[in-house]
Amino acid sequence: MATTILCPTRGGQSSYPNQDRAIQLAKERGADLVFLYVSDVQFLDHTAAPKVVDIETVLDEMGDFLLTMAIERADKEGIQATGIVKRGSFRQVLIEVIRTHSIGIVVIGKSRMDTSSLPPEYFEKLAEEIRHETGVEIVMTQESDSDKSLND
Amino acid sequence: MLILVFLFFLLIPGNASAFQAAEDQPTEYVVVGRLIDALGQPVVEALISGYIDGQEEPLAEGESQEDGSWRLGFSQVPSEDLRIVFKHPHFNSTSIHLGTVERSQLAEDSVYRLGETTLQRKITPAFWIATIIFISVILLIATERLHSTTAALAGFSAIFLISYIGGALNPGLYIFGFERGLSYINWEVIFLVLGMMILVAVIENTGIFQWLAFQAYRISGGRTWLLVLILMTITAVASALLDNFTTMLLMTPISLQIALALGINPLALIIPQVLASNVGGISTLVGTPTNIIIGAYAGISFTDFLVNQTGGVVIALIAMGAFILFYYRKDFRKRSGGMSVALYEKLKENSQVEDTNALLKAGVVFILVLVGFVAGESVHMVPAVPAMAGATLVLIWLKPDVHHMIKSVDWTTLVFFMALFTVVGAIQEVGLLSLIASGMSNLIANNLALGIFVVVFGVGTLSTAIANIPLAASMLPIINYLTLTIPGAQSLVLYYALSMGAAMGGNGLLIGGEANLVTAGITEQTNTRITFKEFMKVGLPVTYITLIIGFLWLLLRFNIY
Repeated sequence: MATTILCPTRGGQSSYPNQDRAIQLAKERGADLVFLYVSDVQFLDHTAAPKVVDIETVLDEMGDFLLTMAIERADKEGIQATGIVKRGSFRQVLIEVIRTHSIGIVVIGKSRMDTSSLPPEYFEKLAEEIRHETGVEIVMTQESDSDKSLND
Repeated sequence: MLILVFLFFLLIPGNASAFQAAEDQPTEYVVVGRLIDALGQPVVEALISGYIDGQEEPLAEGESQEDGSWRLGFSQVPSEDLRIVFKHPHFNSTSIHLGTVERSQLAEDSVYRLGETTLQRKITPAFWIATIIFISVILLIATERLHSTTAALAGFSAIFLISYIGGALNPGLYIFGFERGLSYINWEVIFLVLGMMILVAVIENTGIFQWLAFQAYRISGGRTWLLVLILMTITAVASALLDNFTTMLLMTPISLQIALALGINPLALIIPQVLASNVGGISTLVGTPTNIIIGAYAGISFTDFLVNQTGGVVIALIAMGAFILFYYRKDFRKRSGGMSVALYEKLKENSQVEDTNALLKAGVVFILVLVGFVAGESVHMVPAVPAMAGATLVLIWLKPDVHHMIKSVDWTTLVFFMALFTVVGAIQEVGLLSLIASGMSNLIANNLALGIFVVVFGVGTLSTAIANIPLAASMLPIINYLTLTIPGAQSLVLYYALSMGAAMGGNGLLIGGEANLVTAGITEQTNTRITFKEFMKVGLPVTYITLIIGFLWLLLRFNIY
């Protein structure tokens, strides 16, 4: 049955295995593919210098560009994908998008410590919570591309 | 309404005269003098009382002013010997005896000049409390346990609560009163930053930085080494004219897009830019927050910074560029394969100047402000005036949404500055900074070259880990003392050393500068992490290369051999 696959991504080479897995799954299941970019400006909270720039809009533009890159990669594999740019807490935005876009599968990449300040355990816990809260199928990928389905 | 009526009566001439008359109560005989500390700095708000020997009630009382001067007025020459007593919470009480000779002179001239009286500092419980509060604020900021502004406000509140509540229980706990605490706030800094924030908010909305970065990509023609050198130059110049933090907020996202689309290591493009931004800002008054604070405190003008720092900054940037080309040589050897038409068009779309008309007008106003900085020096106009006038002109000419513009002002930062100045004022008041200044003076022993060395490398090394804004603010009274006492330092060279040390040191570690942290935060939004170690491997060598150049430049510029 056709479903919609959601692939949260932040672009960059370390995100490619995650994007590739989502593209592959979309091909296998004939599903729609949606890439999601979520910006979070919480990192600004610990700086004292003047923040007069509308950084959220600037990050939206960057997210839009990164999603264009991801969509281009999907297009090369014959998959027509779309992109959504959102702001805020990753967890909350993810749940909101899953519900509003009737998402069936979410492909989450576990970032390595050299690409994110968040440990892999954070993503495992997050995946479990999202599955529990929304009932979607979660597919987790890693840099090594060894993925596992929590629903298996 | 009642307030208006009150103000009316207060302002009518008759009342004004009455107030004047009360203030000028005839005191025929006056004893005057000046209070200083062991470092020759004025002692402010000391209580001065004149007693007839053996009596407990003072004949006259007064308070020392900002310059340490004081006066005691008497309606007649005291009939017996007089005892002048000086009291201040942070100094040992001192008294001076005025005998027959002095009283005769007072009777003859109506004025007796006591000259300078030196008070000796005492270490009170307030000394330790203010020191602990200051160190706590620095640690809270460094460890990010609290937002910088919250940390500074916590220090601010603790100082006054302890002064008033603790001081009532034990006078030794008194640091300073509210009015005295607020007198440490440098309003010139606050208004200069405020004016520049409004100007920058207009300029950044035009998209000029994104356009410049895109042009850099086009000009480089796929040569990564050339791309990074152009981006470093743009960042350094923009940092000198605006500020390094804002520059990196604008340059990082567009640079990341270019790097990721071309398949270049993003760190090879981003880290050199943040290093250039920290150094580029040194050459002007408005380039870094520390320069704004230093300029306002020492009266160093826009032109002074430009003339005395730019040469050193340019040489430091060239050396930095050479090191960067060497360090990232493997990344730069790769020629990028270019990007797809769709990505190129998207990048072009994200890099457009959004409002040419606004850019032109904001550009004109910005040039006028720069002219105001330079021309204003001849009439002793502080830089805050042209900055605020420019901000006002922008609001009138461009007619942006005033509510939006005022909201664009980062009030959190302004509150941080105000609270921080008060916390630093507390350690100045209790004598900690005098103690450090005295120690440094003994170490330097009138050797100006050694003084520059100690300030450049000492502050530079501390700045690698400590936020440079509070560091520079707390160093100012120390530099002031050294400037007054070391022969040749009157050229203000030590302030320039402070400026170079604070900014260049910020390159050493990721936590050393606000621009570093915000760049790392934005970079992580693309799943690319600037780790502490990765930054340090590039940042520390660059820091010491540029500090050496900065030190040698100051020796050369001020003819100190």
